[in-house]
Amino acid sequence: MSNTKSLLTIKDLHASVEEKQIIKGLDLDIKPGEVHAIMGPNGAGKSTLGYVLSGRDGYSVESGSVTLNGEDLLEMETEDRARAGLFLAFQYPVEIPGVSNLEFLKASVDAQREARGEDAISSADFLKEAKAACKQVNLPVAFLKRGVNEGFSGGEKKRNELMQMLLLKPKLCILDETDSGLDIDALQVVAEGVNSQRSADRSFIVVTHYQRLLDYIKPDFVHVLSDGKIVKSGDASLALELEAQGYAWLQKEPAEDELEG
Amino acid sequence: MSEWLESAITRARGINDWLAPKRAHALELLSTTKWPTRKTEAWRYTPLRSVERSTAKVIKDVVALSPVDIAGLSAIELVFVNGKFDASQLTKILPEGLSISLGQTLENAQQAQALNAFSTIKPERHLFGLVNDALAQDVVVVSVAEGVEIAQPIRISSLLSHGAESHTRVQVSLAAGSRLAVIEDVQASGDSLNTAFVEYDVASNAYLEHYRFALQTGTNVAIGGSHFNLHDHAKMHSTIVGFGSDLSRLDTDIIHAGQFADAKLNAMYLLDGKELFDLHATVEHAMPNGTTEENVRCIVADRARAVFNGRIHIHRDAQKTLAELNNRNLLMSNTAEINTKPELEIYADDVKCAHGATVAQIDKQALYYLQTRGVSRSKAQVMLNFGFINELIDLMPNAALAEWIRPIIRERFSQMEVK
Amino acid sequence: MTEQIDKALAREYEAGFVSDVESETFEPGLDESVIQRISEMKGEPEWMLEWRLSAFREWLEMEEPDWALVDYPKIDFQAISYYSAPKSMKDKPKSLDEVDPELLRTYEKLGIPLIEQQMLAGIAVDAVFDSVSVVTTFRDKLEEAGVIFCPISEAIKKHPELVKKYLGSVVAKKDNYYAALNCAVFTDGSFVYIPKGTRCPMELSTYFRINEQNTGQFERTLIIADEGSHVSYLEGCTAPQRDENQLHAAVVELVAMDNAEIKYSTVQNWYPGDENGKGGIYNFVTKRGICHTSAKISWTQVETGSAVTWKYPSCILKGDNSVGEFYSVALTRGRQQADTGTKMIHIGKNTKSTIIAKGISAGKSNGSYRGLVRMNPGADGARNFTQCDSLLIGDQCGAHTFPYVESRNPSAIIEHEATTSKVSDEQMFLCRQRGLDPEKAVSMIVNGFCKEVFKELPMEFAVEAGKLLEISLEGSVG
Ligand SMILES: Nc1ncnc2c1ncn2[C@@H]1O[C@H](COP(=O)(O)OP(=O)(O)OP(=O)(O)O)[C@@H](O)[C@H]1O
Ligand SMILES: [Mg+2]
Repeated sequence: MSNTKSLLTIKDLHASVEEKQIIKGLDLDIKPGEVHAIMGPNGAGKSTLGYVLSGRDGYSVESGSVTLNGEDLLEMETEDRARAGLFLAFQYPVEIPGVSNLEFLKASVDAQREARGEDAISSADFLKEAKAACKQVNLPVAFLKRGVNEGFSGGEKKRNELMQMLLLKPKLCILDETDSGLDIDALQVVAEGVNSQRSADRSFIVVTHYQRLLDYIKPDFVHVLSDGKIVKSGDASLALELEAQGYAWLQKEPAEDELEG
Repeated sequence: MSEWLESAITRARGINDWLAPKRAHALELLSTTKWPTRKTEAWRYTPLRSVERSTAKVIKDVVALSPVDIAGLSAIELVFVNGKFDASQLTKILPEGLSISLGQTLENAQQAQALNAFSTIKPERHLFGLVNDALAQDVVVVSVAEGVEIAQPIRISSLLSHGAESHTRVQVSLAAGSRLAVIEDVQASGDSLNTAFVEYDVASNAYLEHYRFALQTGTNVAIGGSHFNLHDHAKMHSTIVGFGSDLSRLDTDIIHAGQFADAKLNAMYLLDGKELFDLHATVEHAMPNGTTEENVRCIVADRARAVFNGRIHIHRDAQKTLAELNNRNLLMSNTAEINTKPELEIYADDVKCAHGATVAQIDKQALYYLQTRGVSRSKAQVMLNFGFINELIDLMPNAALAEWIRPIIRERFSQMEVK
Repeated sequence: MTEQIDKALAREYEAGFVSDVESETFEPGLDESVIQRISEMKGEPEWMLEWRLSAFREWLEMEEPDWALVDYPKIDFQAISYYSAPKSMKDKPKSLDEVDPELLRTYEKLGIPLIEQQMLAGIAVDAVFDSVSVVTTFRDKLEEAGVIFCPISEAIKKHPELVKKYLGSVVAKKDNYYAALNCAVFTDGSFVYIPKGTRCPMELSTYFRINEQNTGQFERTLIIADEGSHVSYLEGCTAPQRDENQLHAAVVELVAMDNAEIKYSTVQNWYPGDENGKGGIYNFVTKRGICHTSAKISWTQVETGSAVTWKYPSCILKGDNSVGEFYSVALTRGRQQADTGTKMIHIGKNTKSTIIAKGISAGKSNGSYRGLVRMNPGADGARNFTQCDSLLIGDQCGAHTFPYVESRNPSAIIEHEATTSKVSDEQMFLCRQRGLDPEKAVSMIVNGFCKEVFKELPMEFAVEAGKLLEISLEGSVG
C-alpha cells in the first residue's frame, strides 16, 4: 500500500483566518481508498482544515503545500478544486432560499461533468439518480423540490450533504461532523452512505467527535488534531483510547504568552 | 407663506441675544421655506390649519403652574412656564457632575461652546425646528461630566396656560461614559401652541435613558422634536407616549455618528375623538456596526388620525448595521385613519435591515363573546388587545414611570369605542 | 467577491443593434400642429384629435413629478421626434408576405419570429416598431373566438364605441405629467377586447421596439375583459444601443368587468445605457387596471432595462371580492435607476391584494420600491399582504423601500414586510465548493431570490426572464 501514489498530500501547512493562525504545521498523507478519521477538541482547527483545502475566501495559507493527485491544490479556484474531486460536507450547511435542491444539484453535477468534458446529464436520468440518492439517505423525495437547506432540520441538512456527495461522486470526501445532530438511525444512514461509497479510488476524511460513528465506518487511520497540528496518529484503536481518556493527555501545556495573546 | 409664519418671523427679527448668529441663520432658511401643503411629503397627512388659525399669544405675565406629581418618582425638576424657564422650580442642590444653566447666564467660554453646539444635531429640514431656533425664549443647557452617573432623572416640563404660545429649547450633553435619564413632558391647557425641541449629544460609552410624554389632548397644538447624536459605543433607550391633540407632531432623529452605537425607540400612541398624532422618526446610520430597534404601536378610535413615518437610512460606510422597525396598528372605527410609511434607504450591502407594518382590527367576535360572559365591553377590550401596548410599557426602564403611565393608558383604551 | 460580481454585471446588451429600415420621421418638436399631424397620419376621427388636444393643453399646465428617487437631466421635449414609421408601412401591408423583410428580421433577431408557422403555438403577437404597429399575428383565429386584438390606431377607427367609452377611463388624461403627454401624442399600441364569458384561446403579446434615433415612444394599450372573460397578455420591449437618452412614456389601461381576469406580464429590457450611464431609455410608464365585482388583475413585471424607470402598475379594486396582484423583479446595475412599485386601492368589500416585490441592485445603481396600499372606509374585510425584499450586490449601490400604508377601515387587515440582504459569502462558497463557477452561483442565488415572482410568469416568459437575469448578471463575478 505504501507504494501507491498519494491522493492528498499536505506538508507543513500553516494557515490563518482574519490574521489569526489556526493551522500550525500540519502534515497528512492520504492514499486512494483510505478512510482517515480526524478527532480533536473544539476549536482545534478541524473545520478550518476543510475550508483551507477547499479554498474558502478569507482563509489564507502562509506556508506549506497541498497536492491532490499530484497537482497543486492551493493554486486552484474553489470550483476547480471541486471539479478535481474534492467534496466538503459542511458542519453547518447554509440555506439558499428559492433555489431548489434539484436545480442546485443538477447545476453542480453538470458543471463538474462539463469540466471533465462530458455532456450535461439528461434531466430524466438525473431525476432518477437524485431520487435514488434521496432514498439512500432517507430523505423524502419532496426535499428535492425544496430550497437548498431552506427550513431543513439539523439532521435533514446533514443528510442533504450526504446526498450531494452520493450524486457528485467525488474522489476525496471531507465530512465535517456529518454525524453530529443525527438521531441513531441517521447515524447508520451516514455510515452506510460512506461505506457504500468506499472504493479503491475514493478516500475520506471523517471529522467526528464520537467513537460511535467509527464503529460503523472502520477508519484506516485516526488522527488527533489539536491546536492546529496532528499530535497523534494511530489505527482505529486510537479512537477507543480517546473515548476513554479524552484529549488532555495529548495536549501540551499552553505556554503563558499564548494564553495572553 | 402663512400669516402665522410671517408674524413669527417678524417677532423673531426683534430678538437680539447671545444666539443671534444661529437665529439669523434659521430666519434666512425660514424666509425661503414654503409653507407645507398636502404635497409637502413631510406634512402629507398632517394639515397645518390649526397652526394657521391659532390665536395663542406669548403671555408675559407670571403664571403659577407646576408639574404633576408622579408617585415614586423623585426627579430633578426643570420647568418652563409659558416658555419661560422657571428658576424657582429648579431642584436646588444638583448632584455632582451635573450642571443645568440658562444659556444667557453662562460664562463666556461656556456660552460660546453652547452657541457652537446649538442646533447642530437637529436637522435643518424641520420647519418648526427653525421656528424654535428663532423664537425660543430661554435655552437651557444641561451637561453631565465624564464618567458620572446621575441616579435621579431630569424632568423637563413645558407647562402652558390657556391661550399661551411657547417655544422651549434644551441642549443636553452627556460626556464620555456618563449616564443620565431625561423625561420630556408637555402639559398644556386648551388653545395653546408650543414647540419644544431638545438636542442630545451622547458621547462615547455614555448611556441616555429618554422619555417623551405628549399626553395633552384637546385643542392645543404641540410640535416638537427630540434629536440624538450617538458617538462610539453610545447607547440610548427612548420611550414615547402620545395621546394626540388638535395637532401633535413629533420629529425624532437618531444619528449614529460613531461606531457600535445602540439605539432603542419604543413609541405608543392612543388616539380618540378628533385627535391627530404624527410621529416622524428618522434613524441615520452614518457609521459601521450600529444597531437600532424601533417598535411603534398605535391604537386609533373615533375620528382620530395617526401618522407615522419611520425612516431608516443606512449610509455607504455603515456596514454591519443591524436595524429593525416594527410598526403595529389597531384601527377601531371607520372614521379613524392610519397612515403609516416605514422607509428603508440603504447604501451599504453588508447590513441586516427590515421593517414590518401591520394594520389590524379589534377582534369583534371575541369581544362579543367576552361580553356575553358578563365582562364589560371596556374590560374585554383591554383584556383582548391591551397586551400589545402593555409589552412596550413593560420595556420602560424606569419602574415608577411605567407604573404611573400604565393605568392612564389602560383607562384611555377602555374608553375608546369600537365602531 | 464583490469585484467578481461587478465583473459579471458588465454585460453586453444583446438587443442593442440598429435595424436598417427606411423611416419617415417627424422633425423634433411639440406643439398643437404636431399633434394634428400625428392624428392625420393615423387617419383619426375628429373626436380623437380633440381628445388629444385637450390632453396637450392640460399637460402644458402640469409639472414634471420630482418625488421619485431618480435623478436625470431635464428632458427637452422639443428635442424629441414624436412620430417615426418605417416607410414600407405607408400602405399598410395586408399580410405577412407584404411586410418589409428587414422588419421581420429585426424581430427574429430579438427572438420573436413573426412568421406564424414558426411561432410558439398559442401566442399571438402585435409588433410595434417605433410609432406604428407592424403586424399582428393570428388575427383570424382570434376573431373566430370573438376576440379583438389589433393596433389601437385601428381600433379607434373600427371600434370607436369601445375606445370612446374606455380610453382614459382608468388613467385620466391629467392623471400625471407623462400620462397627459402620452394622451396627446401616443402613436400606437395594442387594443384587446375579450367578449363576455370568453377565455382567450391563446396568449396575447405585444412586442415594442424603438429603432429610430431621437424619437420618443408613446404607446397606448387598452385591454377590456368583459364579464367572465379571461386573458393573459405579455409585453416585451427593446431598443438599440444609442448614446442619447430616449423617452418612453406609455399608458396601459386594463378594465376587468365582473368576474373577468386579466394577467398582464412584462419583461422590460429597454436599453439601460452603458456602465457610465451614457444613453439608455427613460421609461416613464403609467399602468393601471380597474377591477369590477369579483374580477382579478395580476401584474407581473421583470424590469432589467432602461436608464431610468418610473413605473407603478396599479389596481383599483372597485368591485366587491375583487383581487389585485403585483409581482415584480427589478434589477438595476451600472448606473441604472429604478423607482417602481404599485398602488392597491381597496374600495369594494372583501377585496384582496398581494404584492411581492424583489429588487436587486448592483454596480452603482439604485433601485426603489414605492407602493401604496389604501383601504377606503367601505372596504370591509379587505386584506393586503406585501413583501418587499432587496438584494444588494456590492457596496456602491442602493436599495430603498417607500411603502405608504393608509387605512380607513377597521375591519381591513394589512401586512407589510420588507427585508434587505446580500448574496452571502457562505452561499457563494457552498456553490463553488460543489463546482459551480461564480457567475453561475450568483445567477442561481439571484434567481432563487426571485422565484416567487418568476413562477407567476407564463412559461415562455419565465424562461426568458431567467435568461435575461443570467445575462444581466454575467461577469458580475470572476
Ligand atoms: N473567521 C474567524 N475569525 C477568527 N477566528 C476564527 C474564525 N474562524 C474560525 N476561527 C477560530 O479558529 C479556531 C478553529 O476553528 P474550527 O472551526 O476549525 O474548529 P473545529 O476544530 O472545527 O472545532 P469544532 O469541533 O467545535 O467544530 C477556533 O478557535 C475558532 O474560533
Ligand atoms: Mg468544526
